[in-house]
Amino acid sequence: MTHTNGRRRVVVTGQGVVTPLGTGVDKFWAALKKGECGIRQVQSFSTEDLYITIAGEVPDFDPKERLQSKPLLLADKYSQYAGCAAQEAVAMSKLEVPLKDNAAYRAACIIGSGVGGLTTLEFSYKMLFKENKRATHPLTLLKAIGSSASAHVSIEYSIKGPTFGVVSACSTATHAIGLTYRMIREGLVDLGIAGAAEASLNWGATRAWQAMRVLSPDGLWPFAKRRNGTVLAEGAGVLMLEEFEHAKARGAPILAEVLGYGMTADAADMVNPSIDGASMAMQQALDDAALAPSDIDYVNAHGTATAVNDVNETRAIKRVFGNAANKLSISSTKSMHGHCLGAGGGIEAVAAVKAIGEGFVPPTVGLDEPDPECDLDYTPNVGKKREVNYAMSNSFAFGGLNAVLVFGPSPA
Amino acid sequence: MDEVATKIIEILRKNMKDPSKTVTLETPLSELEIESLDLAVIVFDIEDTFGIEIPYNANEEVEAFATVGSVVDRVKGIIAETKASGAAA
Repeated sequence: MTHTNGRRRVVVTGQGVVTPLGTGVDKFWAALKKGECGIRQVQSFSTEDLYITIAGEVPDFDPKERLQSKPLLLADKYSQYAGCAAQEAVAMSKLEVPLKDNAAYRAACIIGSGVGGLTTLEFSYKMLFKENKRATHPLTLLKAIGSSASAHVSIEYSIKGPTFGVVSACSTATHAIGLTYRMIREGLVDLGIAGAAEASLNWGATRAWQAMRVLSPDGLWPFAKRRNGTVLAEGAGVLMLEEFEHAKARGAPILAEVLGYGMTADAADMVNPSIDGASMAMQQALDDAALAPSDIDYVNAHGTATAVNDVNETRAIKRVFGNAANKLSISSTKSMHGHCLGAGGGIEAVAAVKAIGEGFVPPTVGLDEPDPECDLDYTPNVGKKREVNYAMSNSFAFGGLNAVLVFGPSPA
Repeated sequence: MDEVATKIIEILRKNMKDPSKTVTLETPLSELEIESLDLAVIVFDIEDTFGIEIPYNANEEVEAFATVGSVVDRVKGIIAETKASGAAA
């Protein structure tokens, strides 16, 4: 380790998820190991007049199971997803909450969202424009804005340090985690809840997505020859990040270490990704971690199953890893939980941390016949036992916004 | 040139990189320099103008539309299908 010497180290002391495979890390990971798929026919809204009728919806979600706070129980679903994931992460970390005195100011809460309370907005517009209601519900604005999830969670645990949301479409959660990692590393705070939530599945949003022509009416099959688009999903993924000595001192469980973070922009196209931006972000993350490409065991790919992403990502991985690309285990867990948009990077970070902890690579399901241009080991259909010391998680969003994290084993 | 063709050429011209270029029924699509989102916008404009739905997935191999004329023919086909299923309903 060269330039990382003397640097504050950042570890993962808790995690939480709400996903189409279930709520809670244990349920989520069990489903990933088995190769289950949470993409089903839409239940939560009418698909009348839509040709996209499948999605990854969170099943049986009851906010009262994990949340007590009245404001959160009245909030938009995206905030509730964030609240539940945060509750799990905080409980897992055994952090004493609410935070007190100066410690409260040494904690951050960075929870982003791609679109925030979009479903609240859709409902409100229906009331205003169709039903001619004279007023919207007073909580409408707070439910709709993209900062509320972070605010709710900070109130819940008395986090008084840097608290706000970040926005970068499908890279949102990864950017939130990376930002919090840097804040801890640079000494601004000692711990932080970081990730994102998304609950944007509704009729209007599906119409908008249909118009972009990137969704598949059939399924989400990353790297497969038959892939024909992505499938929308929802949920939340959150990590509790903490400075290493701080975690050790209070006897916190240490699940993994955050070693590297890369962020770039393609500066090219609003929809089509570039190899340059993606490979540069991966390279930056490796350099930040002071790791060689051959050190990485597992890559949780962005793998959205669009025609362009999967080929672009394959080429970018080859450019960065060279021959070492052939020794990688790669998979797109989106094949199982769907494309959770802003929350994706958080849910996928949890999968990467679990892969390290359990020495198991979750599969890419639905990979019956690979695209000949996607010829790396994408762990088709069945997960495998493999010692995973270092894992990389990729997020490449619309507009060419790239964020990559590298995780390593617990230093404890 | 009929009304359908005229309207389609107008829509194509609006979304081309260089709208001053000449566009006829014989112009090869490749000459129009249309990419990614522009194509989705063109499809949307055509759907909106003619009240039809065009099945198009950007992830799938696009049918071999050689010329502007072939696009016009396809749209006319969908208009006819839409009218027929509307009449049958």
